[in-house]
Amino acid sequence: MLKERLQVLITAEQRLRLEEEARRAGVSVGALVREAIDARVGAPNLADRRRAFAAVTAMRGRYLSPEELEALGDDERDRTAPAVEPG
Amino acid sequence: MAFFVDANVIVYAATEGPYHESCVEILQAIAEGSAVARTSTAVIEEVWHVELSGKAGDISGLAGNAYTLFAPLLAVDHEIVGAALALPTSALGATDRIHVATCALSGIDTIVTADADFHDLRGIRRVDPLDEQALRGILRASLG
Repeated sequence: MLKERLQVLITAEQRLRLEEEARRAGVSVGALVREAIDARVGAPNLADRRRAFAAVTAMRGRYLSPEELEALGDDERDRTAPAVEPG
Repeated sequence: MAFFVDANVIVYAATEGPYHESCVEILQAIAEGSAVARTSTAVIEEVWHVELSGKAGDISGLAGNAYTLFAPLLAVDHEIVGAALALPTSALGATDRIHVATCALSGIDTIVTADADFHDLRGIRRVDPLDEQALRGILRASLG
């Protein structure tokens, strides 16, 4: 459902490009802009999020206190990575 | 208004312990779209560190699933790093300062975290996952 109105300023050249592409693709300029938004900042759908949530809650990891978690992050950053030979 | 989710909330949803139940509730509300929350690339990196360390048991895939739950992530860019560097000296570490700056520049005033270091910060309210009343309030308010 389209409920949100967004007003943006663009250049004359951008408008021309949008209109040409919309004509070529046989869609409205609005549809083209919505498609571009989804391509740039698209989010996973509800089914994907539910699957991810189920996977997380199926895990049974070991409890670490907030302080231990914080220290773990520091340790990880301090760890020396093994040298990688250039290919 | 959206709230910010810290790494420990994601880790606690996947591990046993006192925070597990409330952190599962938070992630469930986000997954179902009944709460609006954001997290950042820096948080996912932290979760990934914990996952790869093996210290929290087998939580393989946690960072990837968190990425799916929270996409699109808030990016940590030069502006955020600059704001983090300019924060007044406090007990917060570098990553936590990045989180505070991320919130500030994203217009987010609430961070859900078990980390008590986020207490008493100007402009950022910390909600502990175990604070049931405050949690209910932000879950409701995030949709408003």
